[in-house]
Amino acid sequence: MQPYARFLCVWFAALLVLAFCVAALNFAIDPYDVFGSPRVAGINAQKPRARDHSMLTKAYQIERFRPATVLLGSSRVHIGVDASGPEWPAAMQPVYNYAIPGSYNTTLMLATLQQAAATGRLAHAVIFLDFQNFFVPEAPPGPPNEDDRRLLLDPSGNANALRGYQRLDDGFLALMTMGALSDSVATILSQHAALTLDIQPDGASTDADFVNIARGDGTSSLFAQKRVFEANRTPVLARGLAAWTGPLPNLGRVADVIAFCRRRGIALTLAIAPTHAEALEFYWRAGLWPRIEQFKTELAELVARDGAEGVKLWDFSDYSSFTTEPVPPVSDRKTQTTWFWEPSHFKKPLGHIMIRRMTGQAAPEFGALLTPETVAERNRQIRAQRQAYICLDTANPCKS
Amino acid sequence: MLFNSYAFIFGFLPLTLAGFWVLGHRRRDWALLWLTAASLVFYAWWRPINVLLIAPSILINYALSLALRRTGEDSPALARALLIGGIVFNLCFLGYFKYLTFLQGTANDLFDAGFTLTHLILPLGISFITFQKIAFLVDVHAGRVKEFTFRNYALFVLFFPQLVAGPIVHYREMMPQFAVAPCRFSAENAAIGVSLFFMGLFKKLVLADPLSRLVAPLYAQAAAGTPLTLTDAWIAALGFTLQIYFDFSGYSDMALGLARFFGIKLPVNFNSPLKSSSIIDFWLRWHVSLTRFLTAYLYNPLTLNLTRRRVAQGKPLFGGRNTTLSAFVWLLAMPTLLTMLISGIWHGAGYAYILWGLLHGLLLVVNHGWRVLRPRIFLDAKSYNRAMKPVGFVLTFLSVVFAMAMFRAPTAGSAVTIWQGMIGMFGATLPEAILNRIGPAGPWLTALGFTPAWTSGSFLMEATLRIAALLAIALCLPNTLEMLARFEPAIGVKPAKQPERLVRLLTWEPTSAWALTLAVVTLAGVLSLGELSEFLYWQF
Repeated sequence: MQPYARFLCVWFAALLVLAFCVAALNFAIDPYDVFGSPRVAGINAQKPRARDHSMLTKAYQIERFRPATVLLGSSRVHIGVDASGPEWPAAMQPVYNYAIPGSYNTTLMLATLQQAAATGRLAHAVIFLDFQNFFVPEAPPGPPNEDDRRLLLDPSGNANALRGYQRLDDGFLALMTMGALSDSVATILSQHAALTLDIQPDGASTDADFVNIARGDGTSSLFAQKRVFEANRTPVLARGLAAWTGPLPNLGRVADVIAFCRRRGIALTLAIAPTHAEALEFYWRAGLWPRIEQFKTELAELVARDGAEGVKLWDFSDYSSFTTEPVPPVSDRKTQTTWFWEPSHFKKPLGHIMIRRMTGQAAPEFGALLTPETVAERNRQIRAQRQAYICLDTANPCKS
Repeated sequence: MLFNSYAFIFGFLPLTLAGFWVLGHRRRDWALLWLTAASLVFYAWWRPINVLLIAPSILINYALSLALRRTGEDSPALARALLIGGIVFNLCFLGYFKYLTFLQGTANDLFDAGFTLTHLILPLGISFITFQKIAFLVDVHAGRVKEFTFRNYALFVLFFPQLVAGPIVHYREMMPQFAVAPCRFSAENAAIGVSLFFMGLFKKLVLADPLSRLVAPLYAQAAAGTPLTLTDAWIAALGFTLQIYFDFSGYSDMALGLARFFGIKLPVNFNSPLKSSSIIDFWLRWHVSLTRFLTAYLYNPLTLNLTRRRVAQGKPLFGGRNTTLSAFVWLLAMPTLLTMLISGIWHGAGYAYILWGLLHGLLLVVNHGWRVLRPRIFLDAKSYNRAMKPVGFVLTFLSVVFAMAMFRAPTAGSAVTIWQGMIGMFGATLPEAILNRIGPAGPWLTALGFTPAWTSGSFLMEATLRIAALLAIALCLPNTLEMLARFEPAIGVKPAKQPERLVRLLTWEPTSAWALTLAVVTLAGVLSLGELSEFLYWQF
């Protein structure tokens, strides 16, 4: 055979063999948990790279998991609420954590709820709400993107006709892309780390990211980063809402969620997620506190009007002993906090307490049920809590 | 259709090649017709209306060429009028689609003209096609091209490997090749074509594209008026310089490889420009086919015309030790600045492109000026070159990087913001997590003025590692043309007489070892197809 012809034959044959090996490796390691390949200790038991593809991973995981209870929310819930904790009543198990880190919004809330319900045996939904999601109007849903197309139902709640093609596309993405290959290799290499990021089969996440930073740079570093973030974000939110009149944006999506749960007979618990007082102060200083109170009032009225007995609304966003826990100074890299990684993201022990509170089990006093009758008093109490909190500031006692 | 798409690699290309080789066994002209038809499909794929826009322009240019050929010798005045008419027609065609909105916006800015901005969709590759059509008219007028048919002309304009982003080719270097191309499968051409194409795909998808994800937010930040710190500004400028180099040179390698499948060699477009030791050297290595076009069809005629005028006026000319300032200004500086201004305008409708062109023009003038002055200051050229080559490299590299920020920035103002960041006007920060982890360097950097930032260190780490790796590849390794020089991968490329050790080590051969290496490179490129992205130069 001529050298050029032999070159082409060797190249083509090697290409086919290599392509097959890559597909086989990606299928076995399954870095995004799309195929449900067995998790083998030391090889692929943890899925650190699934975090960046959580919409993909969780859409497939939940179909296999078929939960009785679904947890919905942003990264705060993804990291802070344990789906497999002992505090979940037997009647609510199994629980799947379908919270989505990253750009979570209220459109996603309804889409993920529909997906969870379509798996067949959903009876309970626990949804954590971030008040920030109701300060900026969300764009109306556009044409379905890949995250919409892979769900069991389309936005109107009918069987999704586009799903077959998207599943093929997802399978290809997870088998035959450079990203999947590098993520498979990273998955294998990360298995022996002391602590590895993971999206477990029940959708919950390990705390690896935060633990590693907190151990290396101290919790104070995490708080400092978030301070910069909130200092930039809150004035923007305040400017956006300055001329806003009438009910806050996006509350209609909560009404859609309530209506969906009523139709499907799903018991719904809504919870306003806790935020550390350090971050709440940025909202206070930006003049957004009345908007937070407005959010709670309108939400309580909405739940009472549309939800009747089947829906409960909890408020954990206050200045309690949990949310005002002291933050170590920047120079202190050793002291760890108990309840919060940083002002937004609470730790799993606080998640446990909230679940116990919402399921009627014995737990420390934290949060309160909100109704139209109690919301005004709750708002007044939190203002009083805040006054007490700022009086603790020895450098500037009882500033207003 | 994008070269880096599944449809192209697994559909269009195999079908086109199969048809070309099968028909070529019967009749060569059938194979060439098939290639022209396939090129039309390639062009129409993205937006079929493109064909309706470009087809009348091709017909008119062909008719003008016929008229030029017929009148050329009998009536020089008419031929000249036809040529000027043809050039004006092509420039108006380009101007309408590419510059109308910009001109309306400029008129609104300057004179409050109140034009409603017309947002036209730019026909694919219009800037490249227009230059080739103008070059063809000039060549016919000058008698450099005499024999041509409509079939050949259509194939010359539409040949898909060079259709949308070059290299810019001349009729007289292409058609003689088509005239003798075997139009049959050749294992040698296929092996070289496959190697060039997939090395280019690797450069584009694996090396260039990940940088885009890193630098795009920084330019958006500058466009929004947010200052960039020292490190971010350098990441933006260096990152984009490397991104566009690997993107466009990768595209050019792919074009060379595709043409080679059909037995055709295209001209060189890139020859390790970032290794240049002067800005003149840079333009002889960067987008070479554009430099060649602008030199042949703009700079040289302009300089010739000005020289004739000065001769007629009895004024001194440019060249040698006795060059006067006025000769330098009129015969070198002005034509250079004008040529680079046109180059900037050609690249895009925006003030930033114009300023980028002028900036490079200015750098070229300084470089030429120094070449005139240097022999008067440094008498020993050899020792000067030995000592100053590294200095020239650093100065050239920095100049190119600074200018690239202007090329990429959405507005001239945002480019200035990046420049200000690059010289530290907006402060220097490093993520606290990094300052804590670099040992004694942390306090040293803090003493230098770096302050801790409460941001994640992962962005800086990834950007630094990627930029360092790509700089090493661009500056230390031989380029694709050097690796394949023995097989003339582009017109006129020959192996160096005394190649460097690394070039010898990485010289391509049709061996099993190279086949296995290429299989890995191919697979990496193909696996990266999922993250579809356009070539930067497709917008020009």
